[in-house]
Order: sequence, then structure tokens, then C-alpha cells
Amino acid sequence: MSEIVFEGVTRRFPLPKGGDFLAIDRIDLTIEEKEFVAIVGPSGCGKTTLMRMAAGLDFPTDGRVLVGGKEVKGPGPERAVVFQQFALLPWKTVRENIGFGLMCKGTPKAEAEAAIARYVDLMGLTGHEDSFPHQLSGGMQQRVAIARAYVMQPAALLMDEPFGALDAQTRIVMQEELVRLARRNPRTVIFITHAVDEAIYLADRVVVMGRKPGRIIETIDIRPLREDGGWEALPIEEVMDTPDFTHMRSRIWKLLKAREQERPAVPAPTPAPVPAK
Amino acid sequence: MQSLARSSRGFGPWRIPRRALVGVATIGVALLLWWLATSGLRLLNPLRLPSPQEVWAAFTQISSGQGYGGATLWQHAAQSLWLVAKGFTVAVITGVPLGLLMGWSRRAETLINPIFLLLRPIPALAWIPLAIVWFGLGDTGKVFVIWLTAFVPSVINAFTGVRNVDPVLIAAARTQGASTAQVIRHVVIPGAMPLIFTGLRLSLQASWTTLVAAELVGAFFGLGRVLNVAGQDIFPGMILVGMAAVAVCGAVTTWLLGRVERRVLAWRPAV
Repeated sequence: MSEIVFEGVTRRFPLPKGGDFLAIDRIDLTIEEKEFVAIVGPSGCGKTTLMRMAAGLDFPTDGRVLVGGKEVKGPGPERAVVFQQFALLPWKTVRENIGFGLMCKGTPKAEAEAAIARYVDLMGLTGHEDSFPHQLSGGMQQRVAIARAYVMQPAALLMDEPFGALDAQTRIVMQEELVRLARRNPRTVIFITHAVDEAIYLADRVVVMGRKPGRIIETIDIRPLREDGGWEALPIEEVMDTPDFTHMRSRIWKLLKAREQERPAVPAPTPAPVPAK
Repeated sequence: MQSLARSSRGFGPWRIPRRALVGVATIGVALLLWWLATSGLRLLNPLRLPSPQEVWAAFTQISSGQGYGGATLWQHAAQSLWLVAKGFTVAVITGVPLGLLMGWSRRAETLINPIFLLLRPIPALAWIPLAIVWFGLGDTGKVFVIWLTAFVPSVINAFTGVRNVDPVLIAAARTQGASTAQVIRHVVIPGAMPLIFTGLRLSLQASWTTLVAAELVGAFFGLGRVLNVAGQDIFPGMILVGMAAVAVCGAVTTWLLGRVERRVLAWRPAV
């Protein structure tokens, strides 16, 4: 019981000069239990706001967000969030960061240690348990953030451009690992991205959003392509070369472009620079 | 961090020794010029600037049992250190939590800030006469004035530190199920810590300034008292000894605070 339902969700932000800005306009969307849904769209289409509302970090002006049948009233450990900026606590080690949620919950120490060790191993972080985040590369930091999300055994995983701050090579490695992890540990996932490739490769369904106001343009099921093409067995670069994949990519790009006359459709899928901290 | 410093010495074997040599040479030249200007060539009136020998004589007098201004140098220094320690500690214990509270709660800020804005423009030294009227010339008045001066930077920096904590970190902690108390303890306070320490360093400097001023106005012991009596006696050698003693005490306390800071903020990337 962890499907995520957006029911007529509208979000307006008040403007400083009075009036308000319609960020999201009456969105209805259901993400089934253990389904991996990617949301793509240009900046300002409200995709991050949508995720924040599922996380309980923001609330709709109208409509409801339900997770597992219950209306979202605030953040909770059953809905883990992975942020683009990693959001690791700089003063805690890798081990302490991964174990933070368990500590907050009061999990017994031995049990927590075992769970941490499992995800340290799974995410390839062995040997870095006692490092501080700043001692790790961006890719490693995001592995910690993903381990931190998975260790809570959340019903739902909410990822806000988790690979947006990584370089291209690291990004591909992480995408493959996420697929591996998601297969081993299926969860209900909302994955926000503006990289169309990433969305098609990772998701069961891709939701294409437009802006002014933020709304859903189309929802596309990728599963038939994946199953027919045997994507699971292929390395990522081969998947991205298949005709099915490239057709799908241009189809989504056209959708995005058609709604976006005044500006180039989508930023090229280049990673944003990591803010040095 | 320490190992880094060592390895950098290894990489540039000339750097540190050469710099140290130049430093020593500069001080040596300055001392020589000082000696030449005073007792060497007698260019300056010894009542304006004493010779190195006179300063040394003053130092041996005050550091021996003979003392000056009613006590030895060590007793004066201990008295001053003790007052600074008390005033600074009280300021930190009261100021940092208040700053944290104002940073965390808009309501607390709205409530407290007006009083703060009203009192802040008054230079702490202007409180000294009032402190004497209220508490006399004893320790209490001085601790009170030090507290007033050292309090302000502690509050402001703890406040700013909290406001500068990355909201994403707080959001991330909440999504992991952290309670408000856990967010404050594990996210807000450590996040504000670098600026809290900036505040403590400023508070410590302010404590010394205020203490010397307060002791100059009136005290029975302390380094400010040495300076005051030496001024009245027109004893320039002793004035210089007093000034040097204040500098050494200030430097020692700053160094101690720096050690605490490095330990507490060990997680920070080495610059």
C-alpha cells in the first residue's frame, strides 16, 4: 500500500507584488505501487514542486496528495527523498549520514549497524565509512544519499534530479546502478529529471510536463519497449542506440517543443556544475 | 590537517625556515633600532620611549617578589585572565543560546530584536561608569561590562549562523523522520558552529579591550591597573611591560580558543 495519488492538485505561489503565480494546474496522476515514474519537463514546469508535495515539504493550494491512501501532512521516513544537492550532513561521516534516519527512529544499534553495512556494501562505499562528505567525489556523495534513502526501507522513493549535479560518466554509472538497485529492491519511485534519455532508460512510465501553467502533457508507458527490446540485459549505451529508444526520445522532445514556442524546448542533458562547498 | 601542514613543509623545504629567519631578522633589526634610538644614540627622551634595558629592569621588578601596583606580574595577569574568563564564559553561555533561539524562531526574533537594536549602539565602554555606580570597583562590575561587550558578537553570529544553515539540510533531516529537537541538535547547531566560533573570537577580543579599559578606570589588581599606575608614576618601562603582558594574555586565550575550534570543527575541509 504505497501508491502515490495526486488528485486535482493545484499550487499557487503568492507573488511579492500581490496576486499569485500558478505553478501547477489541476494535476491528476497515480503512481502505482512499486512503479518507477519519471517526470520530465522544462525548468519552471512545477515538477520539483510536485515531488516536494509528495514528500510533505510543500502542500497543494487545491486538491490532495495521497500516499498509501493517506493524505500527506508532512515529511516522514516512509517517503525517502534524494536531493540534487545530495544534502548530506557535512559534520557527519558516511556511516553517520546513512544511519541518521535510523538513529532518529531509535533503531537498536546492532540492527542499525547491520543495515548500514548492507547498503555501504551495495552502493560500493566500503572503505569510506568514516570519511566526511567533502572527502568524497560528487558521485560517491550521491551514493551515500541513495544508501541513506534505501536504508530506511521506505515505501516510496522521491528523487529530485539526483544525477543533475554529476559529470556525464558518473551519471551513466549511477543510472545503471539505480536500475540494478531498483530491480533488487522495487519501490514506488518518483524520479524528477530534465534529461529525456535518463527518464526513458530508468522509468516504467514517463510523465511529460509543460509549463505556464505546470501541467501534464502526456504520460507514456515505456515498459513494452523495455520488455520487447530486452533492455535489462543490455548495457546503457546500447539501449540508448536502439531505434525504439531514439524514436521515443524524439517523440518526447517533440512533445516538449510543441508546447514551448518562446524558448528552446529542453536544456541539453548536460550536467549542471556542482556547487563547490 | 596537521599531517598536511607537515607534508607541505616536506615539499617546500625552504619555505618555513626562510620565512622564520626573515621574521627573526626583522625583529632583531627593530630591537637594534630601538636600542640605538634610546640608549645607543640617545635620540629620544627616555621619558617618551624607554630603552630595552629599562623595560627589562621593569619586567624583573614586577615579576619578582617586589612587584608593582600592589602585586607581582603573575598575580595581575591571573586576575585579568580570571575576569576575562568569567565575563567571556557568561557572555557565551547567554549569548549563543539567545542567538540560536532568535535564528530559529521568527517570533523570538521579533520579540527580542527591538531591545537588542536599542542597546547595541551604546559602546560597551560607556557602561563602565554605570557599572561602577552599580557594582563598585570590584570584580562584579568588570565581569558585567565584559559580558555586555562580548555578548553582542556571540548573539549576532549564532543568529546569522542559524539563518545560514542550508534549508535543504533541514528538509532532508525532516524527511528522514527527525523531530524538531533532533533537527536542532544534529543539523542547526552544527551548521551554525563555524559562525558561532567567529562570534566567540570577536567576543574574546572584545573581552580583553573592555577589561583593560575597565581596569584603567579603577581596579585593585590587574594588568589595566599596572598600566594605570605606571602612567601616573610616569614609568614608561613599566607601561611597555603592561602592554606586552596584555598582548601575551590575549594571544594565549585566542590560541586556546583556536585549538577548541579546530577540534570541534574537525569535519571541515582543510583550507
